[in-house]
Amino acid sequence: MSRTRTRTFAALGLAALLGLSTACSDKTAGGNPAAGTPGKPADLALTDTTAKGTGPVDSVRWLLAKEPKSLDLDVRSDSDSNALLANVCERLFQTQPDLSMRPHLADSATYTDPTTLVLKLRAGVTFHDGSPMTADDVVWSLRRHAAEGRNESDEFERVSTIERTGDTEVTVRLKEPDALFTKALAGNAGVVLDREQAEPAGKDYGTPGRTDACTGPYTLKEWKAGSRITLERYDAYWDKSRKPLVRSATFGWADENAMVNSMTTGAADGTYLTTMSAVPPLAGNGALTVSYGSSSRAWTLIPTERGGMKDPRVRRALSLALDRQGIAKAAFAGLATPWKTPLGPGAWGYEKATFQAGYDALQGAPAQPTAADLDAAKKLVTELGPAAPTLVIANDGTPTRNLIANAVVDAAHRIGLKAQIKTMSGADFTSLYTDQALRKSVDMFADDWYISKADPAGFYDNALTGSNNNWVGFSSPEYDSVVNEALRTTDDAARARLLVEAERRFTADAVWLPLVQVPNVLVTSTKLTGAPASMCNVAYPWLADLGAKG
Amino acid sequence: MTLLQAAVPSVATASPEPAKPKRTWPIPVRIAAGFLLLTAASAILAPLLAPYEPDAIDLNASLAPPDGAHVLGTDQSGRDLLSRVLHGAGPSLVAPLALLALASVIGIALGTLAAWHGGWVDAFVSRVTDVMFAFPGLLFVILIVSVFGDGLTTAVVALALAYSPVVAKYTRSIALAERAKPYIDAYRVQGMGGFAICVRRLVPNLAPSLIGYLVLMFGQVLMGMATLSYLGFGAQPPSSEWGLMVKEGQAALVRGALWPALVPGTAIALVVVAFNVVGVRISDRLGVRER
Repeated sequence: MSRTRTRTFAALGLAALLGLSTACSDKTAGGNPAAGTPGKPADLALTDTTAKGTGPVDSVRWLLAKEPKSLDLDVRSDSDSNALLANVCERLFQTQPDLSMRPHLADSATYTDPTTLVLKLRAGVTFHDGSPMTADDVVWSLRRHAAEGRNESDEFERVSTIERTGDTEVTVRLKEPDALFTKALAGNAGVVLDREQAEPAGKDYGTPGRTDACTGPYTLKEWKAGSRITLERYDAYWDKSRKPLVRSATFGWADENAMVNSMTTGAADGTYLTTMSAVPPLAGNGALTVSYGSSSRAWTLIPTERGGMKDPRVRRALSLALDRQGIAKAAFAGLATPWKTPLGPGAWGYEKATFQAGYDALQGAPAQPTAADLDAAKKLVTELGPAAPTLVIANDGTPTRNLIANAVVDAAHRIGLKAQIKTMSGADFTSLYTDQALRKSVDMFADDWYISKADPAGFYDNALTGSNNNWVGFSSPEYDSVVNEALRTTDDAARARLLVEAERRFTADAVWLPLVQVPNVLVTSTKLTGAPASMCNVAYPWLADLGAKG
Repeated sequence: MTLLQAAVPSVATASPEPAKPKRTWPIPVRIAAGFLLLTAASAILAPLLAPYEPDAIDLNASLAPPDGAHVLGTDQSGRDLLSRVLHGAGPSLVAPLALLALASVIGIALGTLAAWHGGWVDAFVSRVTDVMFAFPGLLFVILIVSVFGDGLTTAVVALALAYSPVVAKYTRSIALAERAKPYIDAYRVQGMGGFAICVRRLVPNLAPSLIGYLVLMFGQVLMGMATLSYLGFGAQPPSSEWGLMVKEGQAALVRGALWPALVPGTAIALVVVAFNVVGVRISDRLGVRER
């Protein structure tokens, strides 16, 4: 038989198979999520953590969305590296499953005056090489985080000096009061590294083949680049009250399809999902438990320097025309909520009622545009006249961003704006945060943002005049004044009121264009339980809570 | 044969000539040819035939199953799959056609040059094509796309360069045989230049073989283009090129919606099958295909 004929038969067979599969495919996949799948997030039961694990587990296989680029959080951090290293590296403060924060490696933190913070360090803390944590390690670590170009340097913008003022005492002096600084110490800005381990490694720290320099309940056993990362329980962990039940955890990574297959076939034991479209097939599987937790994660459109979004009228018009309800349904399997701010309610760590009332009063970001919204948007575009730009939205080809890009183009067209999609590689897309030249080739890109601090003040400083992330060049003296005042205000109630005002101004000018808010999703085998479901998993040692179901 | 006919008695000449055997095409070939004509017509008439604009999104109809409103269902963005597959027929068929045309121009020129000149020119062209054969085609294309940027035009040029050695090799082999025929020497004796002989006599005489070969290649080339788009190097969103549609539809698989990937996938499979069926027949008729 000739090769051509073989190909023909193969293709005919494929076509027949495709037709058969189409006929047999799930007819309910679209409009109505299949039985067993959850409803809208508003109907989901959010839980901080799952039932306590009671039995020991020798090893678990855990999935990440992608392989971390680095295990040095000062160099690069994302959801995956944070979730992994949360079990290895500890902070001066620690985020709890209910998203509150409390001192951890610091025994206490006291403001002796509004600009002087004294950290008393916990006694008996040891690194994984057995050496004790010292005040010098803490000072060195904080200075490392604060160095220019480091990931967390923005958390130290108000810091004047960091000094060792005793054997177990570190004093941080601020240029002005900073209500967020202690909260930042619960995030990556508060990680304490063993100077003797990390400093000699230099740029190689956090790369494959290197050990960690941390204090957490798990230690980095192996990073086999491109294949897996293995963590092992650190049996000499300093906190003897904590007894992790899982001895070893192997982390792999998989795209959405592979993740669903791995979880449903039992090839993996658990994952924190970063995409919602994988939830329905997993939630319907009897061998898996899907839990939903509170999150500050929200998807937003982030305008850049290119210029198309410079005029607030363009941003406002586009915001009015976006079909957030449709995006929530189509891109997030109905598991997301149309949202009016760039932060989910997981960021409301205090004064929830004040933040909720402020949120409810916000205008300009409808769930679904009404005729009046569209008319108002068209009016704004008409005001632009010939200056109306052709908008370019970046897309990395992933399903969620692809759909959002389509929705943005559609919204723009509906109000008379021209818009097009620019597809770029995943690496280029990631580089949008660091490469200004690349950013200048697009007007906006969609991404999900969250803050590790349960305080909206941690986000709104991004829109201050001249802020590193204020690429669109938004500048408002009134906004700056309100946010700066909030950052100086240590009284929670007063700060919440100021932040609600900042939020109103931010939304009114559509500095960023919020889209939807998504819950944190934990998926585990039914044999496992104990891990927190809230998004504390990016900073809390969740693996130490995991165990076998009793 | 002529002599035999001449020897036939006159009685035989008086009888009616035996009817020529009918050159009928087998039913599968007719069906395949009809399908290809239908596909080409759909590509041209898509704006008239498609019930919706190919890029018109309806997020509330995301992943709608086939029904009266959307005969083939919708994709994740709520775009009508029938409309997209009809509009996508254009770029999905024209791009491989353009690619094949470009690969043919380069390949036929190189193959003819090598066969005609022989010697070091032949050796040089043959070694270059050997090297290109040895280099993984997809990697070569990805390299070109990485340097010059993605998009359908770059993908067409890159794939054309990747396929041109295939055409050059084939052209050289048949041109060598053709060049040895006496009529070529006759043209030389008449004083016709080498370039004129090649362009006006040699290549036209190779045309039937080349056409049969290229028709057979079309299915493979179409798959190549679809693969590039699937990998993100070819057509870019919001194009409805079929390979890109498969890529976009893949995401719906985890939600149990198979049609966004299967509809364009089936279209690709059917067109490739049809081209293979028709191509085999044409090649057989032209005596191209090796048995």
